[in-house]
Amino acid sequence: MAYHLPQLLQRSAEQRPQATAVWARGCTLTYRELEERSNQLAHLLRERGIQKGDRVGLYFPKSVESLVAMFGILKAGAAYVPLDPEQPSARAGYIISNCKMKGLVTDSLRLRKLDHETIEHRALQIVSGEPVEKELRNSVSWEALGSYPSDRPPDLQPATTDLAYILYTSGSTGEPKGVMISHQNALTFVEWCANTFHVRPEDQLSGHASLHFDLSVFDIYNAIEAAATLHIVPEDILIFPTSVAKFIETHNISIWYSVPGALVQLAQHGKLTKERFPKLRTILFAGEVFPIKHLQKLAELLPDVELYNLYGPTETNVCTYYPVDRSRLAEMEALPIGRACGNTEVFAVDEQGQRVIHAGGAGELYVRGPSVTLGYWGDPEKTRKTVVPNPFQPNFAENVYRTGDIVVLRSDGDFDFLGRRDHQVKVGGYRVELGEVEAALLRHSAVSEAGAFATADPTDGSRIHAVVALHNGSRLSESDLQQHCALHLPRYMVPANIQLREHLPRTSTGKLDRVRLKAEVPTSS
Amino acid sequence: MGKMESALIKDQVREFIMTIAVRRGVAKVADDDSLTSTGVLSSMAIFRLVSFVEETFSVAIDDDEITSENFGSINAIQEFVLGKLD
Repeated sequence: MAYHLPQLLQRSAEQRPQATAVWARGCTLTYRELEERSNQLAHLLRERGIQKGDRVGLYFPKSVESLVAMFGILKAGAAYVPLDPEQPSARAGYIISNCKMKGLVTDSLRLRKLDHETIEHRALQIVSGEPVEKELRNSVSWEALGSYPSDRPPDLQPATTDLAYILYTSGSTGEPKGVMISHQNALTFVEWCANTFHVRPEDQLSGHASLHFDLSVFDIYNAIEAAATLHIVPEDILIFPTSVAKFIETHNISIWYSVPGALVQLAQHGKLTKERFPKLRTILFAGEVFPIKHLQKLAELLPDVELYNLYGPTETNVCTYYPVDRSRLAEMEALPIGRACGNTEVFAVDEQGQRVIHAGGAGELYVRGPSVTLGYWGDPEKTRKTVVPNPFQPNFAENVYRTGDIVVLRSDGDFDFLGRRDHQVKVGGYRVELGEVEAALLRHSAVSEAGAFATADPTDGSRIHAVVALHNGSRLSESDLQQHCALHLPRYMVPANIQLREHLPRTSTGKLDRVRLKAEVPTSS
Repeated sequence: MGKMESALIKDQVREFIMTIAVRRGVAKVADDDSLTSTGVLSSMAIFRLVSFVEETFSVAIDDDEITSENFGSINAIQEFVLGKLD
C-alpha cells in the first residue's frame, strides 16, 4: 500500500519500464523515462535550495513535462501548485505570492508576462522554451536536468500527511483560495478509484481536465498507479466535439473522465456510435450536474459503456459516486450523487444540527475520512469555517468537511443534490464565487457598486451576469468593464452581460438583494 | 469569387467574432490569432459561430467540419466559407 504519491510511479517503473506512461502533443515518456527525469528534477530542486514543505508552481500548458514536474517536485519533498496557464498573469501572480512559492516551473512566454517583483525573490525558475531576454538571477533551463542523477530520488523520509499539492479555487472575498491536499488525501481517492474502476495496465486513460482542476488527479495518478497510459487531450481541440471523438477513437481510450459539458457536446455533435469505440468501457463525469436528457442520449449512443457520476468538492476530491442505472434512466428527473466512496463517510445535517436519517430529509452534506483537506493555505480562519470538529464524535478530536451543498436523503440510501447554501456557482465544472466576480468589478475606480448572479446554461451549467453602478460623472461601457474583468479573472468568470444601473437593489439590512437583482435584470441576450 | 466579396466575408466574420470576444474581455483579435488559445471561443460560442456562418452565408455545415482547421482563426473561417461557396 502506497503512502506517498511517488511510490505509485516507482512501482510501475519497476514493473513496466518500457510501457508508455504519458502521451501529449505527439510526445511520449515511458515509465522508466518518467521515473528518471523526475528523479533528476528532484535533485536539481534540492541543489537549488528547495526544501521539504516548500511550494513550487507549474505554469505552462499541459505536456509530458507536466508529469515530470509534478513527480519531481513531490520527490524533492515539496508541494506543487498547478496554475491555470491561461489565466491573467495578475491572478497567477497573486497565487505565486499567496503561497510564498519558492520555485516555479514555467515557459519563457509566461515568465516574461509575470510582474518582475512577483518572481524576483523566488529562489528558482526552471524555464523551458527559448531563453529569456531579461537576465533573471535564479533561472535555470529545463535542459539542465540532464546532468543530475537519475537512478534514485533524494532520500527524504516522507510521511503520508505531508502536503502534496495546493489547488486554487475561486474565493468569495475576491481572491482565489488554496485547497491543501496531502499525499494521504490524494491516495485515499486514488486507491478507491483503482479498486472501483479496476484500472489495468492495458487501459488508455484520457487527460481532459486542466491540472489546476481536481478531475486531473484521477487521470494522472490512476494511470500511473495501474501502469496504464495517460493521453492528454490537446487543448486546441477541446471545443470541437468531432475532433474529441476522433481523439477517443484513434487513441483507443478505454476510460474517459470529464465534466458533463464536454459529454453533452459529444452526444450532440460528436457523431458517436458504439462501433467507433470498441475499447471504451468506462465514462466518469463530475464537476456539475449532468442534464438528464443529455445523459439519456449519451447512454443510448454508447450502450456498452459504464457511466458513473462522481461528486465532491476539491476539499475532499470525490466523496460520493453513483453508477448510472440504465434501466431507471428513462424515468429519472435528476441524477443522484449517490453514496459514499470507500474509506469515507458522508451524512447530511439539518438546520437543527441533527443528522438526517429519514428519507426525504434535507441538510448540508458533511464528509468524514482521510480524504478531507488539510485546509486553506495561509487562512486558518476560513479553514475553521468548513473543516470543523465532527459534531457526532464526542470521544476524540476528528475533523469533518462541511461542503456547503444541500442534499436530500433518498429512500434507497443515495443522496440527491439540491443546491448551494452560499453564492457559489459552476461554469463548465469550475467553481465560481459570485463574490470574486463582484470584487473584480469593484477594483475599477469608476465602479461604486457591483452585483453578480448566474442563470442556467445548457452546456456550461451556468452563465454569469453582472450589474454595476458607477460613481457620479463616470462613463464606462459594458465592454470596458468586461475587458477590466479579464485582467483579474479567468475567461469563464467574465460576465457575459454587464448592465449599468444607478443603484443596486438592497435588502432592509443594506445587503445586496440578489433575488431582486436576478428578477429585475433581463438576461435573454 | 471576387476580391470584394472575399473581403466582405472576412469583415462579417470579424465583426461577429468581436461581439463574442468583447464579452470574454478580449479587446483585439488579429485575423490569424488562434480563437481557442486566446479564449475567445468557448464550447458554447463555437456553435453560435457555426449558426451565424450558416445563416449569413447560406451554407450547410456538417458536424465533421467543425474543427480547429476550419474555425481556428478569422482567416481560417474565411477560407472555409470561400471553399463552401465555390
